[in-house]
Amino acid sequence: MSSGRETQSIKPLEVTLPTSLRSEQLVRIDSQWASSRPALATATRMRYKGLIQGFLDSAERFASREALVVDDKRLSYRELRGRAAAIARTILDRELESFPLAAILASRSVTAYAGVLGILGTGKGYVPLNPKFPVDRTRKMLVLSGSRVLVVGREALGQLHRLLPEIGRTLTVILPDLDDAADLCAAFPQHRFVSSRQMSEGAGFAFDIEVDSAAVAYLLFTSGSTGEPKGVPIHHSNVWSYIEYISNRYEVNERDRFSQEFDMTFDLSVHDMFICWERGACLFSVPEKSVMLPAKFIRDHGLTMWFSVPSVVALLSNMRLLQPRCFPSLRFSVFCGEPLAAAHAQHWQEAAPNSIVENLYGPTETTIAISHYRWDPSKSPQECLNGIVPIGWPFAGQQCRVADHERGEVSETGELCLAGSQVTDGYWNDPEKTRRQFVHFPETGETLWYRTGDLVKRGENGCLYYLGRIDHQVKIRGYRVELQEIEVVLRKTSQAEQVVAVPWPVVDGSADGVVAFVSGVSNVDDLHILDRCREALPDYMVPRKIYRLEEMPLNDNRKIDRKRLVKLLEGA
Amino acid sequence: MTVAMSEAQLVDLVISWVQSNHRPGNSRNGKISADTDLIAGGLLDSFGFIDLIVFIESQSGCKIDLTDVDPSEFCVVKGLCRITLRNQ
Repeated sequence: MSSGRETQSIKPLEVTLPTSLRSEQLVRIDSQWASSRPALATATRMRYKGLIQGFLDSAERFASREALVVDDKRLSYRELRGRAAAIARTILDRELESFPLAAILASRSVTAYAGVLGILGTGKGYVPLNPKFPVDRTRKMLVLSGSRVLVVGREALGQLHRLLPEIGRTLTVILPDLDDAADLCAAFPQHRFVSSRQMSEGAGFAFDIEVDSAAVAYLLFTSGSTGEPKGVPIHHSNVWSYIEYISNRYEVNERDRFSQEFDMTFDLSVHDMFICWERGACLFSVPEKSVMLPAKFIRDHGLTMWFSVPSVVALLSNMRLLQPRCFPSLRFSVFCGEPLAAAHAQHWQEAAPNSIVENLYGPTETTIAISHYRWDPSKSPQECLNGIVPIGWPFAGQQCRVADHERGEVSETGELCLAGSQVTDGYWNDPEKTRRQFVHFPETGETLWYRTGDLVKRGENGCLYYLGRIDHQVKIRGYRVELQEIEVVLRKTSQAEQVVAVPWPVVDGSADGVVAFVSGVSNVDDLHILDRCREALPDYMVPRKIYRLEEMPLNDNRKIDRKRLVKLLEGA
Repeated sequence: MTVAMSEAQLVDLVISWVQSNHRPGNSRNGKISADTDLIAGGLLDSFGFIDLIVFIESQSGCKIDLTDVDPSEFCVVKGLCRITLRNQ
């Protein structure tokens, strides 16, 4: 399958070349770049194993070192490699025909991590599914991905009876945490089940694979404006660039202890796992109950690498859990996914005085993150705009341009467009959306640019400042949300003439949730609508409240005036 | 001015608050009791939990210190109330 990319040209624009990096960064990064692994082109010729390569190298070099801690389970690289090998061999032994992707429905368990590695160990890309998401949404993702294999963790077994009935194609369901799958075999004869007792032996499996750098390493789904999740395929070459760059920048080594806060359906989890395993470090899976307030977890495990959305800082701060010097073990603290308030960066810096604090920015389409800003307590407060930390400069080798597309010119303020080895080439089986967002500019020839939809300002020194969106996409607690997707569900369930979803409340540039307005309907059963929303949407997209209006306020263009709706909320 | 509370009184107060302020779409969840896990059951998200802490502090007059408390204790109604009353 392909992303169905067909590009279009838009108005001629002056090209902004990637001269935005500060000179000292260029020198340092380039020297590190040169000393690291062979470039991808060379690596491809050297039996390149793709995203799993770093883990396999570490498993050879640091076989007895701890690779993963999940609750009270501690797995060495040798043990985790063994678990992954068993899953990989089981997939390959039961493969009836070749297919490019396999899905994993698991979360924060040994099977979740071993499953990702096992799938990659077959040379296939992985499709993470989230047991916390509504089953209907998970089924859509599974079907859209075309996966013929599904690896399921213990924590998701209870969902199978609702997930599997409406899957048209035959699935091979691998169950490393279930001894006996007889009940499932009887209930779903159209599918094939492999219990833990029926799985192949991992011993002796050599991970003797080669992957094309253009193959898909993982496929993630983000919120889509039509109501259907939108697939973003990330290729091995995209993620390889990121891992090379970041593991060098943070000088990761085998003594590091990484946090793993993010759900696997959030691409920032790829950073946690594969930056960690690239250099033989240990990954600490943050239990669901500690994700919200992880202060004790950070201290108990002496973490050295922290990566989360900025909302976590606000929560810890509100709970008085961010005391000066409370996280002395941290070397790097990295935030991404939503605007980072300057006050929060400063507060965290005081709590983690031995840590470098960085703000990363990047849409899923550009592989985890593509620009960075390093917090400097002496200078950064003056460099912030509206109290928000800049998104900084693109990674070395990646390109950006800021353009006002309506006026057809490069400008100081406009839409951020990105290009480079980290940028994917289109959406999964969606030529129309691909054409809209992935474009060529006449001045840059074959270079493919991703239009982010993010409105940014470019400072005199090339530093980028995030200002907001040019469309109706918002971030809620770091998750990317198309408000239209919520509105599709609201319209269907409320039968209202007009529905509007509004991010609310918004604190320091970040939305905590969403509320809904409906009009043109007399009887609104809020609880019924919200229950239906909960069945179709992930928790963070379900409106907190529904307001009924006689009619929607309109602006001068006779469009719904969203700003006035926000004013109504402010006055409520 | 606040009055010293018993654990049972505080538990009742918390349950009543959660019943009025839990996440939407959970209307079919079972009865909320002293043993209910507020987070695992999806009743509160992180911001709702903070709102609950603010509410408890205002009612009990106690500052809740979660510095060294395990999440499996403070996510449960009864555990959260006990932590609160330790500082009474």
